[in-house]
Amino acid sequence: MSEKLTLGIESSCDETSAAVLRGGREILSDVISTQIPVHQKFGGVVPEIASRKHIVNIMPVIDEALRQANVELSDIDQVAVTYGPGLVGALLVGVSAAKALAFSLDKPLIGVNHLEGHIFANFLSEPALEPPFMALVVSGGHTALVDVRGYNSFHLMGQTRDDAAGEAFDKIARVMGEPYPGGPRIDALAKEGKPTIDFPEALVGKGNYEFSFSGLKSAVLNYINSEKMKGHELNKPDIAASFQHAVVDVLVGKAFEAVREAGRDTLVLAGGVAANSGLEGRLRAEAERQGVRFFYPNRILCTDNAAMIACRGYYQAEAGHFSDLYLNAIPGLDLEEK
Amino acid sequence: MSILAIDTATQVSSVAVASEAKLSAELTMQAKLTHSETLLPHIEQVLRMASVKKEDLDGIAVSIGPGSFTGLRIGLATAKAMAYVLKKPIVGVSTLAALACHFPVPGVRIVSLLDAQKGNAYRESFEWVDGRLVVREPISVEKTVDVVTACGEVDGPVVLTGDVIAKRIRGKIELPENVKIAPAHLLMPRAANVAMLGLQKLAAGEADNVMDMEPCYIRRSEAEVLWEKRHPEAAR
Repeated sequence: MSEKLTLGIESSCDETSAAVLRGGREILSDVISTQIPVHQKFGGVVPEIASRKHIVNIMPVIDEALRQANVELSDIDQVAVTYGPGLVGALLVGVSAAKALAFSLDKPLIGVNHLEGHIFANFLSEPALEPPFMALVVSGGHTALVDVRGYNSFHLMGQTRDDAAGEAFDKIARVMGEPYPGGPRIDALAKEGKPTIDFPEALVGKGNYEFSFSGLKSAVLNYINSEKMKGHELNKPDIAASFQHAVVDVLVGKAFEAVREAGRDTLVLAGGVAANSGLEGRLRAEAERQGVRFFYPNRILCTDNAAMIACRGYYQAEAGHFSDLYLNAIPGLDLEEK
Repeated sequence: MSILAIDTATQVSSVAVASEAKLSAELTMQAKLTHSETLLPHIEQVLRMASVKKEDLDGIAVSIGPGSFTGLRIGLATAKAMAYVLKKPIVGVSTLAALACHFPVPGVRIVSLLDAQKGNAYRESFEWVDGRLVVREPISVEKTVDVVTACGEVDGPVVLTGDVIAKRIRGKIELPENVKIAPAHLLMPRAANVAMLGLQKLAAGEADNVMDMEPCYIRRSEAEVLWEKRHPEAAR
């Protein structure tokens, strides 16, 4: 394996992150400056505030990543940066800085799709992992099943038609009066409750790999409103458990059907919602039952981080896929066939 | 001293390489292209046109606002990362002051106006005294109409510059007799002016810190303003 040093930069949402990777798998540093406390009082990420934090944090974070990796700027061989999807103003800070770094260093630039980065986080936490495998991507804005056939060859089995799973988690937490970010709160509440309420699951037909969570979200919100109207005290643990159960049911069902259809023996979980213990537990149990290998990144690598961006960038560079200095942020970037 | 200057505070994209003695090259465009795409290619072109290697620069000057929040951050992120890699001093220059450098004439009040949305303008006014730019009214957010009225009360000639003029003044608001608007090419922020002010600041030892430099926003985010309205007990 080549010993190239890749500097990764990530600023798509509410974390500013920079990382140095040696070769494709060895993390020398992965510095993450989170803004969660800043956005908490607003009940969600405020794009303008996120951008203002990024522009202040970007250079100290890069500087710290180089310091922790104990490398000089001149040792860096290439610069990888998230160019989408995400908040446009936030993405632009990282993209602008990365372009200027690459230009000033006379080193190649690699624009990375954030969602592909999440999949590649699995290569960092599981050094023996090699394609092909099936990836279930579950993040704030996306839910998708991707058949990873090679490092640069992806087949999109299906993705979200409307709301992503992560969005539904945040919204339902907010309506129940739980602080942002809602995902971990729902997960914690669900552990204390039982899935006693029957919420609808959408698009569960065989061979359908599309996801839809807007109906489920509405059903949960309607249920909460009607309980409030009736003057009942909300049984938050049971609501959380029932909602999470419905989401997890759909994700687990489709993921293993996709594994079978593509003839894969390995499933990986990717994206911010991968940190959800309910989802991870059910996938692991089902994988054991079906004799499928199952991996998911550790907590740090599940969050938005630059090491996974550097990893994805490294494998793009190995295939000769670089970006030029016209690279722009694409907030609505999707996962695509490659 | 050779300096690279960047201005992306408005829809104008401007990059220049200059020294105290001369402007070597400048690329100024207002073609509705996105700064994020074109800024770095423009920097590369201007350095080449000026025959200056980036390693040979003595500093980087960047227009820090007020202006478009996103535009300011694109310019600043670019300038910071270049200064960091090339190990050169960085200096932030007021976009309003840079506009006033178009008219280095004593005895004239120069009023720089940049779009602050919703009929407002960031306003700062200046005069040249003994070859130095002196602030007459510090930066504030004003109703565009009120600014024009107030200019009529100034004793002496006034020239208006900045992007607000094309958007909301020229042909829309009647001007008092002592008030003139600058020609179109002098309504644009230009990196040559940013370079000149940047060189002065660098010579005076007023470099900024690449680790904590921020744009000059003047305004807070709407979310913060709204939040404080809803939580008066928390505002103090």
